Amino acid sequence: MLEIVNLHARLKDGREILKGIDLSVGAGEVHAIMGPNGSGKSTLASVLAGREGYEITAGSVTYLGRDLLAMPADERAREGVFLAFQYPVEIPGVNNMYFLRAALNAARRHRGEPELDAGQFLRAVRARLKLLEISEDLMQRAVNVGFSGGEKKRNEIFQMAMLEPRLAILDETDSGLDIDALRLVARGVNGLRSPDRAIVMITHYQRLLQYIEPDRVHVLQGGRIVESGDKSLAAELERRGYGAADAA
Amino acid sequence: MSTLADFPVKPEARPYLDVFTETASEPEWLRRARRTSLDRFAEAGFPARRSENWRYLDLRSLEQHPMLPSVMGRPMGVPAGLGLDASAARIVLVDGRFVPELSRLDVPSGVWLGSTRQAVTERPGLVKAFAADTGSEHPFASLNAAFFADGFVLEVGGGVSLDAPIEIVHLASGAGDASLHTRSMIELCHGSRATVVETYAGEGKYWRNDFALWRIEHEAALTRVALVEEAGEATHFEDVDAVLLSERAKLNAFSLLLGGGRMRQEISVTIAGVDAECRIDGAFVVGGMEEANIVTTIDHRLPGGKTGELVKGVAAGRGHGAFQGTIKVREGAQQTDARQTSRNLILGRRASIDTKPELEILADDVKCAHGASVGELDETALFYLRSRGLPADEARRLLIEGFLREPIEGIADAPIRDHLLRRLSLRLARLEDQ
Repeated sequence: MLEIVNLHARLKDGREILKGIDLSVGAGEVHAIMGPNGSGKSTLASVLAGREGYEITAGSVTYLGRDLLAMPADERAREGVFLAFQYPVEIPGVNNMYFLRAALNAARRHRGEPELDAGQFLRAVRARLKLLEISEDLMQRAVNVGFSGGEKKRNEIFQMAMLEPRLAILDETDSGLDIDALRLVARGVNGLRSPDRAIVMITHYQRLLQYIEPDRVHVLQGGRIVESGDKSLAAELERRGYGAADAA
Repeated sequence: MSTLADFPVKPEARPYLDVFTETASEPEWLRRARRTSLDRFAEAGFPARRSENWRYLDLRSLEQHPMLPSVMGRPMGVPAGLGLDASAARIVLVDGRFVPELSRLDVPSGVWLGSTRQAVTERPGLVKAFAADTGSEHPFASLNAAFFADGFVLEVGGGVSLDAPIEIVHLASGAGDASLHTRSMIELCHGSRATVVETYAGEGKYWRNDFALWRIEHEAALTRVALVEEAGEATHFEDVDAVLLSERAKLNAFSLLLGGGRMRQEISVTIAGVDAECRIDGAFVVGGMEEANIVTTIDHRLPGGKTGELVKGVAAGRGHGAFQGTIKVREGAQQTDARQTSRNLILGRRASIDTKPELEILADDVKCAHGASVGELDETALFYLRSRGLPADEARRLLIEGFLREPIEGIADAPIRDHLLRRLSLRLARLEDQ
């Protein structure tokens, strides 16, 4: 589903962050990308989602057989790529429900499907809110405005559940969550595991992986994937730290 | 018949003096008020560019090409979608003149609503209060007092509450490249309340130059909403004097300036009652070559007054917007609580917005705060919306609309709020193509 080959990316100021990433994620798989701060984890997520401000200097990213890097951010989203933000953005004045419905209908139009009517939309919203234990009145507020840290993260997973992406990238979704919120988020993500969906989780800690079991674990360090393994690698990293991975 | 002036007449005022004629059917007090006002205008001329209140608006084209008062209107109807769905009563003025066929004047007892012309005979006491020009700093208000063709008067008697809004629709036909002058008054007697929605629209080229006096007695509350959607070539000037006459009088004013080549709204509020409150909120959107200017002065003269102001502006294309807000707190006006906020968004490199908040505080026990900002669309927010699949132009529009919603959402009446949000959406849909 996702093929990243020798991906190099740098910031506008010339600093190279990604220095040759190779990664292959198949449909139905859950991958975890771990690594210390500053290793390039969030940059990788941003580059995959199409955020501006990065320059790709080499390599390629193929998503469902298409050149992902050639698509603008919004087209990637309509093609089924979803990024759960590390820091969800507050947007005053833009109502959550309105925004979500506009996003959902943009994707449906893109696929040539009819737009959802108000009733269908509301039913879909309610079912998923329940799963993530988000109160309905949060939806009547502006996007992420007045949400607690945990509510913002749950809202990201809720949006993901609504948009039903083919490829979901979760950027530090576990950071700042207490144990109850973490369990809710994990339940939401696990509920979205399916044979035709791939999930890439970016995280600093092993904790999240106790709730969402990955098929593959990768260690990103210095802009490269330096080690890959199955889920036991996460536990091992927890024991020996990232410093040892460098030596491995 | 022109008047003889025994003082130097400003050259730009001369063409207006030349067309001034007296109407024999008008009472002598009104004719005198018109003459005095004309003299004032003749002496003052147009506001100088260095005049602080007019510094952000370029008046040269208006100075060079006089737009003389319209002599006769041309019939036209209210454009679809512009009016409110449910209003208690409606007055339609075309080219500054009351049109009975388009108006509905059914109001409960204790309320007087009608055209200014009609009020001259039926409510002369009220008209005398605002017929004559009083200020020297407002030459266009003097011009208006000399030439006004009509207007409206709303008087709400003590204790009367009007639940549904009174709607005033000001239309301009563009006939004759003329100037249109209406002079109006809203008077709320003690303990009464009313909501007035005024909508401005037109075709072609014209100069609207309106004046209004609002007087609010103790414990009365006026909500007044203005929606400005003038023609692209039009000039829209509006000058309002609001007086909160006595204790706990309340004014909620909201203005949405969405269209017009040159728009300027000036509201001066005098707080002459203890514990009186006013909210002056607004939003403007300019694109193309449009100019918008909101000027407010709140003068706290007595203690315990409250002022809240939130004005937001968006400029695209070569549009230029400006907000000038002065809050005065006089020596005796202790325990005044005044907050003023001006927030602005610039889209594109050729658009510009000026903001100039000003506090003049002479009392020592007061709470006053003001803030002003001019910025661009938040790139992070834009990316967030796009990362959920919204096309870039839709994401931008959503953000701009979200930015402007805040002051509109302060309007308590839901149908009016929704109406304004609808008009705003329509305006924004064509903003960035300009």
